Amino acid sequence: MSTHTGRVALVTGSGRGIGRAIADAHGAAGAAVVYLDHDPALAEAAAAEAAAKGRKALGLAADVADYASVAAACEKAAATLGPIDVLINNAGISPKSGSDGKRAPMWEMSPSEWQRVLDVNLTGAFNCTRAVVPGMRELGRGRIVSTSSVAGKTFCDIVGVHYAATKAGLIGFTKHLAGELGPFGITVNAVAPGRIDTPLMRGTASAANDAVKAITPLRRFGTAEDVAETCLFLTSDAASFVTAQVIDVAGGWLMT
Amino acid sequence: MTTTHDFSGRTLLITGAVGSIGRAVAERFFASGANCVVTDLDESAATALARDIDPGLTRVLPLAQDAAKPDDAARAAKAAVERFGAIDFVVTSAGLYRDALVAEMSDAEWRRSIDINLDGVFYTCRAAIPHMREGGSIVNIASMAGHRGSFAHAHYAAAKGAVLTFSRSLALELAPKIRVNAVSPGLIDGPMVQNLLQMNAGGARLIEQTPLKRLGRPDEIASVIAFLCSSDAGFMTGTSLHVNGGLHIAS
Repeated sequence: MSTHTGRVALVTGSGRGIGRAIADAHGAAGAAVVYLDHDPALAEAAAAEAAAKGRKALGLAADVADYASVAAACEKAAATLGPIDVLINNAGISPKSGSDGKRAPMWEMSPSEWQRVLDVNLTGAFNCTRAVVPGMRELGRGRIVSTSSVAGKTFCDIVGVHYAATKAGLIGFTKHLAGELGPFGITVNAVAPGRIDTPLMRGTASAANDAVKAITPLRRFGTAEDVAETCLFLTSDAASFVTAQVIDVAGGWLMT
Repeated sequence: MTTTHDFSGRTLLITGAVGSIGRAVAERFFASGANCVVTDLDESAATALARDIDPGLTRVLPLAQDAAKPDDAARAAKAAVERFGAIDFVVTSAGLYRDALVAEMSDAEWRRSIDINLDGVFYTCRAAIPHMREGGSIVNIASMAGHRGSFAHAHYAAAKGAVLTFSRSLALELAPKIRVNAVSPGLIDGPMVQNLLQMNAGGARLIEQTPLKRLGRPDEIASVIAFLCSSDAGFMTGTSLHVNGGLHIAS
């Protein structure tokens, strides 16, 4: 399948989990892929594996919360692979600093934990988007997809308030930017995963995860590939008239 | 047309196949290898469409179906099974979009819109479900009007809003074996929107309000429906996808 030949996709948080699957799916579809991750070893390993399959790939380390770090990475990516026309804002953290792998309740949450989640999950998306949109405007095309969450749309008794607030923030970010950037041929969408079997999910107490599975109509956890295929659809020509959407990939859980 | 899915050996039942969206869906699924049962109120147009897509009619079966008639739905499902063995995909594309203000709307106008746009979805899904294979997928075509309302189309918007909640309920009933989703088109180029465009200065105003600055094309609906029917959307059920170029931005 070569739906993305000639495209250059930058995926944040792509060292592992959902981001890794999104980046791999774009590579398999023919895109050149920038694996951007906070952890240089993970980014480089992911890119090396893709390169071993004959794909164009570049592993870069950056902290999405730091604009200068992001801007430098984007500049290097464009210089190496060409202008970025697909951006996936996927990097995210969901601290479970409470007892037994549960979220910290709001009344016990440290302001520094709140701030770090805001910085990575929401400001990180602004930073990356800010860095690539001028290039997309010049190209006259672009695809931006952010990883939100069903927790950004309704109460999920697993995540912390910081995570929910940032995932809701990404929805406003998406809808607003779709309006601003549509006239330049840039679509802006989001995916809202439910419980997806990833390292991040496994940081949650397993009883809590099993309780979600029991009320998910499709009776299973999602896979990182389930989310990746939806992202790949949104960045493909098949979704050329789809913008400002937040698509649940949740097996029917919550039907938000 | 770029097709990215392999639907060979699988069977689509689509109502309202002669409409511009229905036709694009049938063309895309046929090109992806599916058998297609194309039904429409207008039997001769359905036959002409079928011959256009597949001159030998080897994988396309045209049928007459008045979406408002339960017996027609049962007959279409039965014919689909007799010809192709089972049903994998159902797309309810039959729709009726007429202008009428509520204060002036006749009982018959109201009734006909609900009959086609809502009852027809129920009849077709009910008839197809017993014949659907595991891993199948239903996509009901709703509308932007079902989310935000539509001036002079209260009957249409009410029916489409109901289709959205019908689809979510059916998703619960048929999970985990069959997925059910809805697609809500915005302004898609074709005969259905011509009147609306004329009422809005040739559509210029509506296009100006659309972030992507154009009307959608029928194939841009078909590609989203194909995605929803494919295994790529294997964890999606009970969702509604908007395809409107950003004209309606809401949850």
